[in-house]
Amino acid sequence: MRKGEMKAGGTMTRRRFVRSVCAVAASLALSLSLIGCTGSPAASSSSAAGSAEEIDYADWDAVLAAAKGQTVTWYGWGGSQPRNAWIEDSLAPALKEKYDITLELVGMDINDILTQLSGDKQAGTAEGTIDFIWINGENFYTAKDNGYLWGPFTQYLPNFNDYVDAASPEVAYDFGSPTEGFEAPYGKTQMEMWVNSDAVPAPPATVEEFKAFCEANPGKVTYPQPGDFTGTAFISTLISGVIGAEEFEKLSMMEEPTTEEVRAIIEPGLEYLRSLNPSLWNQGQTFPADSTTLATMYADGEVIMNMGYGDPQALVDDGALPASTKPFIFSTGTVGNSNFMAIAENAPHKAAALVAINEVLSPEMQLEQFEVLGNLTVLDMAKLPEADQKAFDDVQLGSAQLPAAELLSHRVTEAAGPVIPIIEQLWLDEVVGK
Amino acid sequence: MTAATGQNAQLAARVRRARRGRAVARALVGVELALVALPLAIIAVWAFTDAWPWPDLWPQQLSARGIEQALSGRQNAGVQTLALSIGIAAATAVVSTAAAALACRALCHFQWRGRSAFQFAALLPFIIPSTVFAMGVQVVFLQAGLARTVPGVVLAHSIVALPYAIIIMTDITRAAGTRREDAARTLGAGTWQMLRHVTIPQLLPGILSSLSMCYIMSFSQYFLTLLVGGGKVQTFVLVLFPYLSGGDRTIACAYSLVFLVVTFAVFFVFELLLRRFGVREGDDLYD
Amino acid sequence: MAIISRRARRKAAPYLMVLPALLLLAVFAYGVGSGVVQGFGVMPFLDRTEPALAYYEEALTRSDLLDSILFSLYLSAVSSVGALIGGVALSAVMTRAEASRFVRLAGIQVPIATMHALVALALICLFTGAGLFPRLLHVVGLAPDATAFPSVVGAPSGWGIIAVYLWKEIPFVAFTTLTIMMNISASYGEAASTLGASSLRTFSSVTLPLCRGPLLRAFLVVFAFAFGSYEIPFLLEPTVPKALPVLAYIEFQDPDIINRCYAMALNGIMAGICTVLCIIYYVVLQRERVPKGRP
Repeated sequence: MRKGEMKAGGTMTRRRFVRSVCAVAASLALSLSLIGCTGSPAASSSSAAGSAEEIDYADWDAVLAAAKGQTVTWYGWGGSQPRNAWIEDSLAPALKEKYDITLELVGMDINDILTQLSGDKQAGTAEGTIDFIWINGENFYTAKDNGYLWGPFTQYLPNFNDYVDAASPEVAYDFGSPTEGFEAPYGKTQMEMWVNSDAVPAPPATVEEFKAFCEANPGKVTYPQPGDFTGTAFISTLISGVIGAEEFEKLSMMEEPTTEEVRAIIEPGLEYLRSLNPSLWNQGQTFPADSTTLATMYADGEVIMNMGYGDPQALVDDGALPASTKPFIFSTGTVGNSNFMAIAENAPHKAAALVAINEVLSPEMQLEQFEVLGNLTVLDMAKLPEADQKAFDDVQLGSAQLPAAELLSHRVTEAAGPVIPIIEQLWLDEVVGK
Repeated sequence: MTAATGQNAQLAARVRRARRGRAVARALVGVELALVALPLAIIAVWAFTDAWPWPDLWPQQLSARGIEQALSGRQNAGVQTLALSIGIAAATAVVSTAAAALACRALCHFQWRGRSAFQFAALLPFIIPSTVFAMGVQVVFLQAGLARTVPGVVLAHSIVALPYAIIIMTDITRAAGTRREDAARTLGAGTWQMLRHVTIPQLLPGILSSLSMCYIMSFSQYFLTLLVGGGKVQTFVLVLFPYLSGGDRTIACAYSLVFLVVTFAVFFVFELLLRRFGVREGDDLYD
Repeated sequence: MAIISRRARRKAAPYLMVLPALLLLAVFAYGVGSGVVQGFGVMPFLDRTEPALAYYEEALTRSDLLDSILFSLYLSAVSSVGALIGGVALSAVMTRAEASRFVRLAGIQVPIATMHALVALALICLFTGAGLFPRLLHVVGLAPDATAFPSVVGAPSGWGIIAVYLWKEIPFVAFTTLTIMMNISASYGEAASTLGASSLRTFSSVTLPLCRGPLLRAFLVVFAFAFGSYEIPFLLEPTVPKALPVLAYIEFQDPDIINRCYAMALNGIMAGICTVLCIIYYVVLQRERVPKGRP
């Protein structure tokens, strides 16, 4: 920079004045918009909060009236295209027609959802943006524990009171912790494995056969890293096959588990998993990060078996998987769980959330879920009117679906919420790479 | 005579060496271009793939299902989020470039107290990772009511794009100097005239370059948008990212292809603008 | 106009012009500061105003912290050094080849415009078990099946991550020096060769020193970016060790609010390492400025 330049700048006052004014104006505009933004959400939230406080949620008609015209947001895992399509094409129009509620589906990883809620809590936001959440298991447990959920609310829902067996352990307990009305059931799933029956005509039926299967196809079998729901469920299935379902189900009732207690129960299972490593993909040194990665590997032909909650029927229908895909389960059973819907503590549209959740629990929607997605219903068959019961029985099973009765009779309860991270840590410490 | 022939021979040899050097360089540039094209090509192919079993070298079946979904009018899917992302990126580009242009003027043409301190401060968003900023600012924005709003996201993006804009604008402002402006002033130009005919045309290449850089920075932001936008502000990248970590490779590549096409289109527009305003390379860089 | 004295206006001008940028930077500083303060356990809304070192202690004594820091540093160092060398080489080659504007656009601007995560996706499509390269190898007969090729996702060497960074950062570094090199080639290059210098000599004594400022800055940018990046390590890193930003975010996601202090402590450590680097850069730059006679 030359001295001349600086000196020259000193005499151009009018130019600099205009520029300075522009600069000030820009900063003022910026600050005003900041203040403006701070102002408006507060204003809108207070009006929304005002209306929310006046509702008596026990009066269903009042809830319906309050929900009219509201927009409700549903946050949950967006990785299942068939499910997203069903919600947007079937559930959302039904809600709009029947109750004048607009449903906004937001696909977001549950960890990120909880991060948003904890951010709200830290900032003291009275009205958030999340209404209800697809949640279950240890995430529900920690969310409820930290006060992120609103409830109890299931007692307000007509469909819950009419058609759901609230006393059933699958409804009253979620991964071993009591739901206490803070979440309403959504669907039941069970772990299934599938292969291409052209390549694998006789899939393994027990854990011993599974080990032989891996050894006969070295490097072509693996499972997602536990930490991912599916991965944890799969190793739970194998462990329960080794130690027996009864032993394993002890884990579903543990309230204050210690690593030693859990290890004592599952040690033979860990031993079995270690013995599998040499025949697995990458010799068990690394594992695919999550279930969707494994799905891609399966579609590519890198591995010959895939697994998941529920059946691959939708994928076969889409053409993403060949028609010869066949699911199977072990005779020792596979783990199953229920998933739920919960309402956020600072949800801005609680009435609409209640109505939406109620609709999901209706027999029509539950039937559609079973037909389209293969999700087992959470409704109690005994409580349903005859016509609806018949409708469920009449559902045609696709080529890649297992009958509900078979699944339900080979069902192992998953471990309790606090136990899951311990199992995952034990796997990380004692199985991977060993 | 021998001396002249010797000189001619030397000249000829030098010319030959120069040509060979240039040919080698051109070949190397060709290699680099191929390396650039390869990943983009594979994304384009996978975007249209329906089935591509091992060990075929070319997809067995092609279909447009991926592109259809990426461009669908679905809520939180295709065109809507694309429009929003472009809007946010454009706003970010304007805010960052304007702030940077003014600041660089102050930095380059004036001597004032705190100048070097500001220069150092302007580097901060480069040094401190944007993840640290995102995790720290989430609560701040929530309290200020800025989180989960579009202006909030624009503000956050502008902050991380600012250092890039400053770097680009500093170079061009310094190179432009005040000579021409002083000359215009001496000739009696008014402020607006001077701005319109001298200052802005001089700075235009830098402004356009900065606009496109900031646009890209904003369009590609994932982590920051996730934390500040909170799912309410759905940009295209937020929709695209979950598909990247596994899942349907066709859908992932389809979304990626749309992303690339839009980005390159914007780039192309900037390039055309640059050319229209008669940019000459290397002009006045080293007076 | 005469009300505000000329002197006052002249003095006020730069400060006013700097205001918008300063505002943005102030928000940045406030955000980062608020985060760092949380690392000390201060969370005003929850009535925790006592600073405590407990979270930093917990973070520093974490068993996987050292591995994470080393892994992040290794990724950043290799990427930035590689980008520096590659970028200078690319810039030089393009200058020598007298590349047209279109070629420069395609070779430099296109990679810069492409998002990092997309490059990771492309890498996955090319190199994972059933990617294009294993298929090619299979056709040639070198790879028996889909598992033979070294994995790009989850490789302990992190070569996938480094490849993604290099693909984008080499053109970025080239971008910062190309204009300078092209100008030198046009003006000084001739002068130097007339004086008898070989092109290599010209390069090392004239070109490189003139590019030093932008190169140092680009090095710093690439290093800091690679160090603090979340998306790419998330997509491509091995199960252990995890890169530092991923570690911090995992803790941040914990529903227990108090755990955020712990996450912020990790962030503080990350910011601290970056600041040390910046100080080094500043010191080196100061030493740079002294011998320079002209701007």
